[in-house]
Amino acid sequence: MQKFPLLRRLCALLLAFAAAQAAAAPDGLELYIAHCSACHRVEGQGGIGLPLPAEKLAEVTDDYLHKTIRLGRPGRVMPAFERLSDAQVDAIVRFLRERTETKDPGFDNDQVVGDAAHGELVYNEHCIKCHAADGTGEGEGTGVTQSRERSFLVMPASISNSGFLGSASDRMIHTVVEHGRRWSGMPAFGDGKLSDGDINDVVAYVRSFEQRQSAPEAIGPDERPTHIYESPHDFETTIANIKTALTGANFRIFPDRFVEQGVTDEFSVNQRQVGIRFCNFNVLYGMLKIEPRLGIVLPCRITVMERPDGTVIMAIPNLRVVSRWFNNDELVGLWDQMEETFTEIIDEVTL
Amino acid sequence: MRPLSHRLIAVLLLCATGFARADGMLMMRIPMRAEIVFAYAKSSIEEHGYSVAHIQLCDGGMTDFGYKTDFYRVLFFGKLAEVRRISEKYPELVSYVPLKLAVIAEKDDTLLTVLNPEVLAPYFADAEVQIQLSRWHSDLESILDDVRRSIGKRIAHAD
Ligand code: HEC
Ligand code: HEC
Repeated sequence: MQKFPLLRRLCALLLAFAAAQAAAAPDGLELYIAHCSACHRVEGQGGIGLPLPAEKLAEVTDDYLHKTIRLGRPGRVMPAFERLSDAQVDAIVRFLRERTETKDPGFDNDQVVGDAAHGELVYNEHCIKCHAADGTGEGEGTGVTQSRERSFLVMPASISNSGFLGSASDRMIHTVVEHGRRWSGMPAFGDGKLSDGDINDVVAYVRSFEQRQSAPEAIGPDERPTHIYESPHDFETTIANIKTALTGANFRIFPDRFVEQGVTDEFSVNQRQVGIRFCNFNVLYGMLKIEPRLGIVLPCRITVMERPDGTVIMAIPNLRVVSRWFNNDELVGLWDQMEETFTEIIDEVTL
Repeated sequence: MRPLSHRLIAVLLLCATGFARADGMLMMRIPMRAEIVFAYAKSSIEEHGYSVAHIQLCDGGMTDFGYKTDFYRVLFFGKLAEVRRISEKYPELVSYVPLKLAVIAEKDDTLLTVLNPEVLAPYFADAEVQIQLSRWHSDLESILDDVRRSIGKRIAHAD
């Protein structure tokens, strides 16, 4: 052991850790680090994901946590963890409990009976300013403000999301409304602001969001990862036309890069395959606040390739496919706008 | 909530395995400044046999336009043989090469993010594409794992 001071130190730390955590399941911790910490942070402070502090966990059931992990939040960034085993999900939930020293509050699964029509009035008066008319939440983005300016410190979760409604019991929703989540800006409505009956009604109304959901889009039979267009022009003219069209559409164009540039030397690089890269910083800056990971698909690129038979093709990523990487409904407008821009540019080039 | 010590975080980084596989995005959070994580990421990519083709300075671009932003860079990387074969045989994949890894500062932490290439698998019937996508996937996981372990060691040594 003397030869491996680092290893010895780590073992000592691990033992100390095991002792401190008593009955902790180490695999739960590992699994949490591996699957959850990127968004929720190691100590549950929140990031792209919401905070998971003791105050919150004390008011949600194990069943809610299980289901949230399994269902994720479709269209709201958090993926559905379908490939974890039941034992692994159990371990993560156990870890969250031990970490926060909380217990399942033991809510019943009984349906809260309320008048959804009256609940709508309550909702419009008290909830709409943070949760928006459709329950998806006012303001853009998810989780906690980190390196970006946003309208709320903690962005309200989408309470019309199928992942939320499929996980939360009526009693849990009732408790959230009654006690609020004061540490993140949601006030308590149980301190005389709303009667128990009003809260029942608003729970019934939140439940009714369930009926407005549409199923996520499956991959269509003709859907391809890339749109390939044949250019009526030669290689050089195609490139020049694309740039003219982009400049006309107010994009900033970056220097061209050959597809192989940087992976081989300048003498053997294929110069008949070039990526035309462009960006609109104004749009980008706004979108990064909503989706900090967006930079991974930037800048936009149209790849122009001369094939061995002399035809010139233009390749543009299919943004419907790109959107599947993000699981973020707030980007739908961006994809649509970009798809339209691409189509206009291709039209202009192929005219 | 009990705060975790720096050393404990080092141990966690060293011991944890695997990450968000079910997801379209492979992500990892590293409790270390982005400049440092970036350097580790770059060398791990090279150790995995890839050439770093290009570094996109998203932060620089935004700053030039007067926007305030933290460290935000994207590493582009590929292997010549793969890039060449793909552009010849599978032009539909060309938009997705070279591969990319984003290094994004979140306060004192750093987020590493890559697109999971396996999201493209359902669009192709060829065994060759399937093998390529899953090889990329496992390389990307291995690169992220490497960075995490190296940073874990660095934190442990710094104590
Ligand atoms: C890619 C980012 C991401 C990952 C990975 C992720 N989450 Fe989330 N999670 C979120 C977001 C975003 C929300 C809030 C959704 C919203 O705003 O509508 C959320 C919500 C939650 C909630 C509900 C919080 C509440 O207020 O009721 C729980 C619990 C949760 N996540 C647990 C987990 C666990 C456990 C894991 C790992 C197995 C995990 N998450 C992985 C992003 C993520
Ligand atoms: C001032 C803003 C604000 C108001 C008003 C408000 N909320 Fe919230 N609400 C939030 C925030 C922020 C969160 C997320 C807090 C967190 O997870 O830490 C939240 C969370 C919730 C959740 C839990 C969602 C989840 O995924 O765990 C429910 C349910 C909810 N609110 C319902 C309501 C209802 C119903 C009302 C009206 C009676 C209401 N809220 C009023 C800000 C608000």
